Amino acid sequence: MTLPAALFSHYRRHPLQLLALAAMIVLATMLWTGVHHLTSQARASLDQSESAVAERQQVARTDGSPVTVDDFVELRRAGLCVMPWLEVSEPEGGRVVGVDPLAAGCFQAPGGQESPWDGELDGRPFVDISEAAELAREQGSELSLLVSDDHSKADLPPGYQLVPFSVGPATGELGDSFLLNLDALGVLVLLITALLVRSVYLLGLAQRRDSFALLYRFGVPRGRVNRLLVVEILLLAAVCVLPGIWLGRWLAAGLGSGFGQALEGLFDQPLYAGQGGSWLVPLVTMMAVILVACLADFLRPIFRGLVGGNRRYGGVVLLVLVAGLALTVWVTDLLWLFIAVAMVFVAAGILAPRLIASLADWRSGHDRDLQARWRHRELAVLARRLALPLVALQFAMAMVLAVQALVTTFESTFDRWLAQRLEADYYVEVPESADAALALDWLAEQPGLSASGLWHRVIRGRATLPGGEDEEETRVDVFAIGPVGPLVTGWELFESAPQPWQRLQQGQGVMVNEQLARRQDIAVGQTLTVLFGSQSFELPVLAIYPDYGRPAGEILIHPSVLPAEFETGFQSLSVSPGNLSIEAVTDGLKGVWQVEALTVRDNRAIEELASAIFDQTFLLTRAMTTLTLILAAIALLMMGWVFFSTRAWYFRLLVVWGLSRRQASVQLVRLSVSLTGAIALLALPLGVWLTWVLVHRINPIAFGWSLPMAVYPGFWLELGVLSMLIGLSIAFLMSRQLKSPTVAPVNANALAGGER
Amino acid sequence: MRRWIFIWFAVVLAGCSEPQQESGFAGLASIADNESGVPFLQPGAGERLSFPEDYGPHPQHRIEWWYLTANLKTEDGEPLGLQWTQFRQAIEPRPADAEPPDANNWPLEAAWMAHAAVSFDTRHYFAEKLARGDVGHAGARAEPIAVWLDDWQLEAESGQSSWRLQVAADGWSYDLTLRITGKPVAHGDQGFSAKSADGEGSMYFSLVDLQIDGRVTLGDQTLEVSGKGWFDREWSSQFLKSGQQGWDWFALHLDSGDKLMAFQLREEDGGFRAGTWIPADGEPIALGADQLNLTSLTQGDGYPRAWRLEVPDFGLNLEVAAPVGDYRNTGLYPYWESPVSVSGSHDGVGYMELTGYGE
Repeated sequence: MTLPAALFSHYRRHPLQLLALAAMIVLATMLWTGVHHLTSQARASLDQSESAVAERQQVARTDGSPVTVDDFVELRRAGLCVMPWLEVSEPEGGRVVGVDPLAAGCFQAPGGQESPWDGELDGRPFVDISEAAELAREQGSELSLLVSDDHSKADLPPGYQLVPFSVGPATGELGDSFLLNLDALGVLVLLITALLVRSVYLLGLAQRRDSFALLYRFGVPRGRVNRLLVVEILLLAAVCVLPGIWLGRWLAAGLGSGFGQALEGLFDQPLYAGQGGSWLVPLVTMMAVILVACLADFLRPIFRGLVGGNRRYGGVVLLVLVAGLALTVWVTDLLWLFIAVAMVFVAAGILAPRLIASLADWRSGHDRDLQARWRHRELAVLARRLALPLVALQFAMAMVLAVQALVTTFESTFDRWLAQRLEADYYVEVPESADAALALDWLAEQPGLSASGLWHRVIRGRATLPGGEDEEETRVDVFAIGPVGPLVTGWELFESAPQPWQRLQQGQGVMVNEQLARRQDIAVGQTLTVLFGSQSFELPVLAIYPDYGRPAGEILIHPSVLPAEFETGFQSLSVSPGNLSIEAVTDGLKGVWQVEALTVRDNRAIEELASAIFDQTFLLTRAMTTLTLILAAIALLMMGWVFFSTRAWYFRLLVVWGLSRRQASVQLVRLSVSLTGAIALLALPLGVWLTWVLVHRINPIAFGWSLPMAVYPGFWLELGVLSMLIGLSIAFLMSRQLKSPTVAPVNANALAGGER
Repeated sequence: MRRWIFIWFAVVLAGCSEPQQESGFAGLASIADNESGVPFLQPGAGERLSFPEDYGPHPQHRIEWWYLTANLKTEDGEPLGLQWTQFRQAIEPRPADAEPPDANNWPLEAAWMAHAAVSFDTRHYFAEKLARGDVGHAGARAEPIAVWLDDWQLEAESGQSSWRLQVAADGWSYDLTLRITGKPVAHGDQGFSAKSADGEGSMYFSLVDLQIDGRVTLGDQTLEVSGKGWFDREWSSQFLKSGQQGWDWFALHLDSGDKLMAFQLREEDGGFRAGTWIPADGEPIALGADQLNLTSLTQGDGYPRAWRLEVPDFGLNLEVAAPVGDYRNTGLYPYWESPVSVSGSHDGVGYMELTGYGE
C-alpha cells in the first residue's frame, strides 16, 4: 500500500468523517459566495439608486408655464442636450417615469455625465416616454426637461432658465459610507469563513491522530505526512468549492428574490440576478482561504517561537487586544483603523475560548456539586477543543449585531436625512419674475393655512467665509429660512446654544452644517464672519446641524439678515397645506404672482420614491447578515455534534455513574447551552464595539461626519435565543446518540489534546 | 445604457426579432412586414422617381437616408473628406398622405439617426445623434428641402439650387454651402436599384456634381474648404436579401469629368454587383454585375483599404485606395467611410463605404 493510499484509507474506514469535512467546506464556500454575491448586488443596487436620485439640472420657462414638447424641440434645435422626463401617477398608486432613450444619447457623449437612469427600460419606474404619455392621458403627469451639466445659463435661448432637478436629494457621501462599511463587513465574513475552514481542518487532524501515529512508527517523516495532508485538503477543496459556490449563489438568489417579493419590487424585476457575476472570484478566494487555513498550522510554531511560552503568549494576546482598542480610539488614518480592528478581532478570537475555559475550570474547582463540577470541567475542554467554530460563531454574531445596528442606523439616518431635505409636503418654486414678499403676505393671511398648515420661504444663494492669514476663503451655500417653524425646529442638532431656533428667527445668529463645522473647526458660541457680496456680518453660531454627508459647507440664517445686495440663486416656498389642498394654495399664488403655471414639487411622492429605491439596498444587506448567521450557526451545530460524538463515551459514563438517561440529557443540555450562551455573551461586547467603530470611527475618518449610534437590546435578545437554540439542538442530537447502545469507547488520543 | 440603445436600435432597425445574422448589417435584410393593417411598401422594378417629393421622407417605407460625401481641399490644397448622413427608420408604416401622430404623445413610429464625419490629415472625426420621429426635433421636408436632427441641418438656402449644411459636434463643426449643378441621376432601372437577383432593392438617385465651399472647424483650427460633393437619396423597406452580410460602395469623381458609382453586396457564395457610369457628357448608364469587377487588394481580415475596380466596357481599370488613417465610424453600427484616391487608367477622388466586416 502506498503512503497516500494508507493515509487516505482513514476515510474509507470513516466515510462519515469525510462527509462532514466535505460538507463543512461546501458550507463555508456557500457562506462566503452568498455574502459576496449579496454584497455585490447591494453595491450595484446602491449605484443604481444613487444614479436615479442624483441631483441634476432642468430647463424651465421663465414665465412659469410648464414645459411642453414644443419647448423640448426648441431647445434641442438650439443644440442643447436635453432629455424629457415625464412623471406619471399610476392608477394603482406609485408613479412611473417616462424617458426617451434616444434623446438621452447625448448624456453619454465624451465628457458628458451619466444618464439619469441606468439599466434597461423593461419595467417600473422607468418606461419609454410614449408609454408614460399614454398613461398621462388619464392620470396626472409632469414633464421636466433635464439638461446635461455641461450647459450653463448662457447656452439657453431667451425665455428659459436652469433650475435644480432631482428625484430625491443626492445621497452624497452617505452612499459611499454605506459601501465602505459593506466592504469592511465582507472582509469580516471572509475571516469567519477562514475560521470555519480551519476548524474543519483541525478536527480532521484530531480524528486521524491514531493513523498518523501509526505512520510515524513506520518511519514516515512528519513533513511528508503534512505535505500529503495539504494536497488532500486542496483536492477535497477543489471538489467541494464548486458546489459550494453554486449553492451560495442559489441561496443568495433565493434570499434576494424572497426579499424582493416582500418589497413588491420597485423595479418590477427580480432584485437578484442569480445568473450574473463571476465564478472565478469566489473560486480563487476560497482556494486561497483554504490554503491559508492549512498553512497556518505550519506558521503557528514560528509565531509561538517568537512570543515564547504559553503564558507569555496569553500576555502578548492581551497586549494586542489593549493596543488594538487604544488604536481604534486614537488613530486618524483608515488603514491603521482597519489594522486596529483586525488586532482586536484576532485577540478577541484567541482570548474568548480561553476565557470560557478558564472560568469553567475555576468554577469546577469551587463547585461542591459533583455534576456541576463535571459539567464545568467538560465545558472547559469543549471551549478549548471547539475554539475555532466557537470563535467563528462569536464573530458572526458580533458582525450580525453590528450590521443590524448599522443598517437600522443608516435607515433611520436616511429617513431623517430625507425628512430634513423634504421637510414640507410641497415645494413651490418662486418664478424668476415674481415677488416672493407678495406671496408671504398672502400665505400669512390664509386662515386655513394658519390653523393646520405650515410653510416657510427658502432663499438659496452663496456666501463667503473669509480665511485667516494663511487660509483661503471658503464659499458656502446659504439657506435663508423664514418664518422659522415646526418644519425645521424638529431637526436634530449636534450642539446648540440656548433657544437656537428662536434666536435664528430673530436674526441673532447662524447655524452651520456638520461638514463646515468640522472643516473650519467651528464651535457653538463662536462668532462667524460671513461675507454676502462685499458686506461683512459677524454672526454668533447658534447650532451645528447634521448634514448626513452633504459635502458642501452650508449656513442657515433668517432672511432678515440678508443684505439687499445678496444675489438670490433660487427661491422656493416649502408648504404643508394641512386641511387646505395644494391646489388652493397654488391657485392663490398664481393669482398673487399673475402667472399661469407654477412648478410644484410633491415632496411626499419624492420621499416615497427615494425610500423605495433605497429600501432594496437595505433589504439586501439584511439578507447578507441573515445568511452569515444561519450558516455560522449550522457550522457550529455540525462541528459541535461531530465533536460531542467523539466524547459520547464520556457522556455515557454519566449513566454508568447512576444518572438516569433523562438526568444525563439535562446535564448535556446545560453543558451545550452554557457553551453557546457563553459565546453569545462574549459576542455582545465585540458586536457593540464593532458598531461603534463603524459609525463613530470609520465614518468620521473616511468622510468627516458621523452617524448617530444606537443599540438594539431587543435584537441582542433574539441572538441570545438563537444561541440557546443551537445549544439545545446539539444536546438533542447527543441525547439521541446516548440512547444508541453501540457507542464505542474512544481512545483518548483520538481526541485533540487527549483530555478527559 | 449605450448597450441598451444598441439593442433597442437593432430591434427597431430589424423591425422584428429575428437574429442579427439573418437580418444583415444594421437589420437591413429584415422582412418588410409588420403586424398593423398598413403595410410597408417595397420598391420594385417599374417604380419611378418623383420630384421634388422624393427629396422628402417616405413614411410608408421602412428605411431611408440622405447621404452626402465630399472631397474637399483646404486653402493650402490639403485634401479633406467630409460626410453627413441622416437615416430614418420607421417602426410603424404610415401612408404618405396620413396625418403624423400628435407630438404631445411622444410617439415612437419612427427613429432618426444622423452621422457626421471629417477626415483630415490622417485623423477621422465622427459624431452620431439619435432622435425619435414625429416629435419635431428631427425630420425632413421635400420642398424647400430641409433635413434636420437637433442643430444639425441641411436646408435650401435660396430656391432649390443652393443648400446649407450645418453640423456642430463636440470639438469640431462645419458650415457648408452646396451648389447644385446637374440633374438628379437615377440609378438602376430609372431609379429602382436592385440589390439582389431576387428583386430586393431600393429607390436610389444621386446629385453627383455638387460644388461645395465653406468652413470646417477642428478644435482651434478653422479651415476654409472647397471641392466636390456627392449626394445620395435612397429608400426601401428591405434593402438586403437574407444572407447578405454587408456592402462595399464607391462613388468616384474622375478627373476626366466622368463619374462612377459601384457597389457590391457580399454573400457567402459571391454576391451582387451593380453600378452607374455617368459620363461627363451624355446620359447615365446602369452597369450590371457582368460589367463590373471589384477586387480587394488588401490581404488579411478587417476593412479592405485598397481595391481594383474594372469596367472593361468603358476602359476603366482603377486602383482605389484610402489614405493612411483609421476611418471607421464608430457609432451604433461601426462601418468604414473614407475618402479615396483613384489611380490607374484614370485619376480622381471619391468616397468608399464598407459595411458588415464583423465589428
